[in-house]
Amino acid sequence: MLLVIGNRNYSSWSLRPWLAMKAHGIAFDEKRIHLYAAGSKEEILRYSHAGKVPVLQDGGTTVWESLAILEYLAERYPRLWPRDAAERATARSLAAEMHAGFAELRQHMSMNVRKRYPGKGRTPEVLADIARVTAIWAQAKGPFLFGEFGAVDAMYAPVVLRFRTYGVEGPNRSYMDAMLALPAMREWIDAAEREPESIPSLDMYG
Amino acid sequence: MQLVIANKNYSSWSMRPWVLLREAGIAFEEILLKFGDSGPAKGVERYSPTGKVPVLVIDGQPVWDSLAIAETLAERYPEKQLWPADARARRLARSICAEMHSGFQALRSTMPMNIRSRYPGKGLTPESRRDIERIVQLWAACRRDHGAGGALLFGRFSIADAYYAPVVTRFQTYAVSLPPGAQAYCDAVLSLRAVREWMDAARRESEFVADDEPYAAGHR
Repeated sequence: MLLVIGNRNYSSWSLRPWLAMKAHGIAFDEKRIHLYAAGSKEEILRYSHAGKVPVLQDGGTTVWESLAILEYLAERYPRLWPRDAAERATARSLAAEMHAGFAELRQHMSMNVRKRYPGKGRTPEVLADIARVTAIWAQAKGPFLFGEFGAVDAMYAPVVLRFRTYGVEGPNRSYMDAMLALPAMREWIDAAEREPESIPSLDMYG
Repeated sequence: MQLVIANKNYSSWSMRPWVLLREAGIAFEEILLKFGDSGPAKGVERYSPTGKVPVLVIDGQPVWDSLAIAETLAERYPEKQLWPADARARRLARSICAEMHSGFQALRSTMPMNIRSRYPGKGLTPESRRDIERIVQLWAACRRDHGAGGALLFGRFSIADAYYAPVVTRFQTYAVSLPPGAQAYCDAVLSLRAVREWMDAARRESEFVADDEPYAAGHR
């Protein structure tokens, strides 16, 4: 399996399947593409006609979109979702809510692992998104949303990094600490911090 | 099992699970919370943790978001084969549904679903045109590689058809001209029993939701 990802510092969608696979010990090769650079569009199109990362190649076919990749993986690694059917339905609801929602948060607090922008980006709409995320995390059944780390937590992992960058504190310290302590998450953060490339247009607040 | 939905004329997200359930012959009770002339329907928060529809209530527990509803139904009713049975086809189906789920923003904003109305030529911008081209390309790939068993994206009916059904109604409302293969697919979707039933009900609705009516006479 080959997972094609973008810059570790910025690509929140890439982090999701990468983290799910690493944390669950699923072996894969990785291809990183520096986004928004000369030739990067063409390079992505070599792997995916959707023209976006992440993309998973396996057995001569491609799966794109982080949520589709997670469901594809879950067919072979069912532990990615909670074992209980009712919990699984809730986990899928929360994952899908993340996949298509929180547009304001994503726009005004874009992921930027290396930077610190405390207090930036807090529009009223972003604050509403933060309140919803806070309510979701407050219902965590263990260190993670359904006890052990799963696909739904992978979907929310970039939000933890955003809250770290933008200094969003609150009642969710234990969920954030659990996420930041995951060895796979440490590995991603360390690599993001060492990543030589930067994308000035995504360094939103200087 | 109850499915909580909004106006059939406008609510594209509601249409997806409704068409899926109905076309697959899965029994459910419909709870229709209409948006009216003066704002959102009351009572959504009783069913939905996000305040949005659709919500599928299973044994009193809410499952929200159309894609999570689809996955949950696929798992609960394996005999219905809501996803394509072939693994390669299923990968593609999941990818195109996820792309619909979070993408095509231009098409969604300039061509909002409005089943009972006709606005030929409206909403075509460079961005919505790109979305349309991408959709036509996706449909063609599905039909070419997996469509042999019928007229739908993966031959027989699947979640992918339910997911793109609202797009088909948009192409009709805005009279988008399509290549023959894509038009044939639209015709196949429009002739599905569940789609016809939904659209008939939509045409009988009279509520006017201003936010969804950028092209109505006398408005904007």
